Amino acid sequence: MVDVSVAKRLVTAIIDNLPAPVPGKRPVHTIGIGVKGEFVASDVARTYCIAEHFNGQTIAASVRFSNGLGGPEQHDGWSDVRGMAVRFHLPDGTGSDLIATTLGEFFVRNVDDFFEFAKVAKLEPYRRQHWLRKIGDFLQLKVPPRNPYPNETQSVDAGALRYADRHRFSQLGIFQVGLIGAPESYARAPYHAVHTFWVTAPDGVRRPVRFSWQPVAGVRNIGVEEVPRDKYLFKEIEDRLKRWPARFMLMMTIGEEGDALDDPTKPWPGTRMRIAMGTLTLTEVPKDQEAAGEHISFNPCRLAPGIEVSNDPILEARREAYEVSREMRGGCPFRWRPDNANPK
Amino acid sequence: MPIPSDERPIDRFVDRLPQTRVFKFLATWILVPFWAWRTPVKPLPGGPHPSFQRGDNVQCMMNLIMPLKDKSPVGRAVAALAIAQNKDAIYAGLNNVGTVHFARFVIVGDNICMFSVYDGDFTNYIRDFIATIGSVFNAVVSLVEGGDDVIPCEQNVEAFIQWVHERDLYQVPDTATDFLRDQEALNGDRAVSPVDDDLTLLPRKLVLQLRANANVSLGNGYRAYPGFSAAQVRERLGLGW
Repeated sequence: MVDVSVAKRLVTAIIDNLPAPVPGKRPVHTIGIGVKGEFVASDVARTYCIAEHFNGQTIAASVRFSNGLGGPEQHDGWSDVRGMAVRFHLPDGTGSDLIATTLGEFFVRNVDDFFEFAKVAKLEPYRRQHWLRKIGDFLQLKVPPRNPYPNETQSVDAGALRYADRHRFSQLGIFQVGLIGAPESYARAPYHAVHTFWVTAPDGVRRPVRFSWQPVAGVRNIGVEEVPRDKYLFKEIEDRLKRWPARFMLMMTIGEEGDALDDPTKPWPGTRMRIAMGTLTLTEVPKDQEAAGEHISFNPCRLAPGIEVSNDPILEARREAYEVSREMRGGCPFRWRPDNANPK
Repeated sequence: MPIPSDERPIDRFVDRLPQTRVFKFLATWILVPFWAWRTPVKPLPGGPHPSFQRGDNVQCMMNLIMPLKDKSPVGRAVAALAIAQNKDAIYAGLNNVGTVHFARFVIVGDNICMFSVYDGDFTNYIRDFIATIGSVFNAVVSLVEGGDDVIPCEQNVEAFIQWVHERDLYQVPDTATDFLRDQEALNGDRAVSPVDDDLTLLPRKLVLQLRANANVSLGNGYRAYPGFSAAQVRERLGLGW
């Protein structure tokens, strides 16, 4: 189990690298919007997992979409990882969370990697590369660094790239971050929970799985040539849900012997068995945003019986780090249910 | 307060440079050949990556590209006729192989192509295939460059398997960085300690690989029901196989 002091150091390392921390708010994924919805499991879901929200009844859900960047400024049009945190409200009053982002793979394997990454990938002044150096890159058949966005003066890009050059396990995640872009809508991006979980079937069989949300409306980013707009995602989802609900399919991929179970930097091949576990229907953006998202303290380890964490060290670290972060901003405490499969 | 943009006309010009005809000409005729000479790249081998994991050994993709000897409409028509005349034999043979999900012949430019999805080991697939329809396949192979060396294929089994493997497309991995690992493995590169890569070279490495290997399969392909073999699908659908 990750020590609370380590979790505090983790959160501090994140806060120290922010352009402008916002007291009382999340250090990263600071800008977000809460959305109300409901989840209905597919007919086959219950045959793979005994968790209550997979038994087929309609389950109320709270969803918080977010921009990955920390700090008070909203830059919807910047290329950035987006978050989708889902709380399934179970009939007995408890909850089960599923936290996902648009990043398919994480960029560090464990807490030590993260501390090293935080040292290397510091915020640095970010300027347009001189045109002569760009020509030099073109002549070497390289792609030069992107131009800064309007009002962007600092970035961690250069440090993250230096880290990736030195650590092959991080290359996929950091490469993906570089290409991730900005979605046209929060409802038009896929979200991946990156970690491995274990699910238990009614016959007692335990399977390693990874979850992802696939948007029914399809995936669509804004064009890279467009001048990025700072604020459009909140209004877009609000307007979209006034017209029609938005839906996501919950896909569960089943790992095989030999797949990386405890390492979120390693992808599983697309040849793994994939189960459609259910549909999340988003219905409205509630007026009370504090209750709908800001005051909900999501935790990737808050899991209904039938779902368990793997030994992924990053997942384990997130359990305490989310709690430390919650304490710092005065959010709702994490209450382990007594029968939770993973009390630690 | 908005920070004024530092973009100058020269910056705009340079940003658009790669899309200009002049730069494309320079890249095609000077830069790419120069870097191919300076940093030679071997073509990556075709077919799926070897794996012991079950899911990787069902629904494997074969993308066989075979350049026709006669690169004229008549030559293409002869190839089309060879397939049409032997359709029943080919389908019966594929039924007998039993591990094939889908197979089709396609003419693309001056190539006759066979695209198929099969279960199990590539070598066994080709061996079973020529055991059941080798004589028919000879009619197709005889129309293809280099085909004369391996016909009759049912009597040149190992040579024919190698011949097919060499014409099966390299499958670019689904993840960009796995492409780097493929190249390192082919070159026998071992990770030095500390690792000192340059990820910004990925575009050049891809360009040079596509120069060495003009036809490739992009990614591992989509599967609607991954993890199931042809036998399992037939059994679950009750097809009485």
